[in-house]
Amino acid sequence: MKVLVEVGSKEIFRYVDKCDALLLGLEKFSVMNSVTFSLEEIFDIVSSYPTLEIFVKMDKNIFNDGIEEVKRVLKKLNAISIRGIFFYDLSLLELKHELSLEVDLVWSQTHMVTNYRTCNYYKEQGVRYALLSKEITLEEIIDIVKKSSIKTIVEVVSLPSVGYSRRKLVHNYYEELKEKGKSSLSVLEKVTNKKYLVKEEDAGTFFLLDEVLNGTSVISTLYQENVDYVLFREEGIPSFMELISDTKKYIHDGCIGEDYINKYKKLGDSTGFFFKKTIYRVKK
Amino acid sequence: MKKIELLSPAGDLERLKVTLLYGADAVYIGGEKYGLRANATNFTIEQIREGCLFAHKLGKKVYLTLNIVFHNEDMNGVDDYISSVVDCGIDAFIVSDPFIISYIKSHFPQVEVHLSTQASTTNYKSVEYFMNQGVERVVLARELSLDEIADIIKKTGIDIEVFIHGAMCTCYSGRCALSNYVTNRDANRGGCAQVCRFAFSLDGKKDFTFATKDNNLAKYIGNLIDIGVRSLKVEGRMRSLYYLATVIGTYREIIDRYYNHTLTEDVLEVLEERLARVANRAVSTHYLLKEADWEDQYYTGRNEASNQDYLGQVISYDKKKKLIKFFERNYFEVGDLLEVFTPKGERVSFVVRKLYDEDGNLLDVARHPDNIYYLYLDTSIDIVEYSMIRLFHHKKEEE
Repeated sequence: MKVLVEVGSKEIFRYVDKCDALLLGLEKFSVMNSVTFSLEEIFDIVSSYPTLEIFVKMDKNIFNDGIEEVKRVLKKLNAISIRGIFFYDLSLLELKHELSLEVDLVWSQTHMVTNYRTCNYYKEQGVRYALLSKEITLEEIIDIVKKSSIKTIVEVVSLPSVGYSRRKLVHNYYEELKEKGKSSLSVLEKVTNKKYLVKEEDAGTFFLLDEVLNGTSVISTLYQENVDYVLFREEGIPSFMELISDTKKYIHDGCIGEDYINKYKKLGDSTGFFFKKTIYRVKK
Repeated sequence: MKKIELLSPAGDLERLKVTLLYGADAVYIGGEKYGLRANATNFTIEQIREGCLFAHKLGKKVYLTLNIVFHNEDMNGVDDYISSVVDCGIDAFIVSDPFIISYIKSHFPQVEVHLSTQASTTNYKSVEYFMNQGVERVVLARELSLDEIADIIKKTGIDIEVFIHGAMCTCYSGRCALSNYVTNRDANRGGCAQVCRFAFSLDGKKDFTFATKDNNLAKYIGNLIDIGVRSLKVEGRMRSLYYLATVIGTYREIIDRYYNHTLTEDVLEVLEERLARVANRAVSTHYLLKEADWEDQYYTGRNEASNQDYLGQVISYDKKKKLIKFFERNYFEVGDLLEVFTPKGERVSFVVRKLYDEDGNLLDVARHPDNIYYLYLDTSIDIVEYSMIRLFHHKKEEE
């Protein structure tokens, strides 16, 4: 099992030897990234850091006027040695077929990667990896890994993304108040008393739960069940470099012992949906 | 040119029948499993069969939503369920999961598959992907402009369905788990708690809210017809009979008048006013003409007005005695100005002169919802079962 890191910094040398793979947001095509990279920067990283696997994130919702640009970018990425492209919009898969591209894709539809049959379907469509949704249980993850032949990625540490809107929700809020405001807010949900970060970018507005998803305690299980990658998203995570470095060592040593788990209890006790099943019927 | 389809929601068998009688060309329904309205009444297999029979006798169609985002456990039994629904005579499945699409197309190629808006399809290349998977129709994301929709139709030629009326999501469909995180209810499996209508605290400032106004494209039906949209969809499987009768009846009239060139601005104004009478939120056209902005949202948290216009549902009309028999829905009095409208689009307004209870006693007021009453009305229009009675003015308002 490899450690994949969504970077929050352009100083790529910092990640060398501390993790196995990097996820880089491509500027204009990735969403919810504090740091993005141009194509040229990605080319440079690929050639400068051959020991790191490089994944590129193109998970924006695409509109008609963006298709030609997507096509151009895919062709360029196809020509270099990257491990795969995270996609949300199905136009990317269609273009991979249409242009006979060899570059691998990662099915990354945020909240919708939730069952083994659809994982297998995408595998048959030429998609090599799936980033499983954070909103399924550990038991469901294990079941997917067992029953699917797609390579699996599980997000274990992050400020979880919760929703994405095309609307400019923060701008609109201030517009209604007739005030000039910021592009991000921290808001409190009154009943659960939990904070959410609301951030606006060119493509729209996104929500992050302002509480660290701490899946460090499930890493040993994921390792035993042959998950291929565990994903750490850097933004908002304290002592991140130490965390990923420790994680790589922990996995390298076979996920034995409690020291790692005990150490990272400091990230908080939120294990997301690993042990919590959502409901959807509230009436009989 | 094939006439555009008017597609209505139907939360149960009675709504299915009423909305088809009021002019829908097709309905979409949810079964007891796999639909995104897990808490609606929904249809049993037998009810699906009966609904299909009813619709097909009228030359109309029934589509079943199978558009949840499936978890492993949801896959258990879905094959048998699809088979049972096909056996009922369903005309199409509305699906978002591409595995389910491929399953239906490989096992039941005679049944259409429509791609759900849950897939948030926003460009022609994604549409092409699903066309290549055998999808016959795409329900586009609600984030698209008229020009973008036209471009997709021009470039792909596939049947396109567009939402024209009803509630809107704040986020992209499928790309929202606010409900999961705040209430533990799974938005993508039919449990959405509409957290986007909650008010969130913001230190020292007015509450942060981001709810959207409802969608209403009544003014632009002609434009949608002209660019080649195949189906116009109304949202609201949990809406009432009266709402459906009014909204579907009104859009039926807008569409028919557009085709026969009688949709003048004055007429459209009257029809929009009719839609406004059943609206419980303000409306907007969102992305159709421009990027959605601050005017397309609410800033007060939940903001839904209740509507007391709906007074009764007709059971029958005795032409000899000139008496309408009906179920009461809301309070009214002798002297109030009412309107009766029928599934065929006929309508008559009148002042209540005589009102009786079931025992024939003369009354001044109808005050008990669900009770049966009789109204005297001398009219030549064909008042049939499922005609609706609504309020124009209370007597007191005029005084």
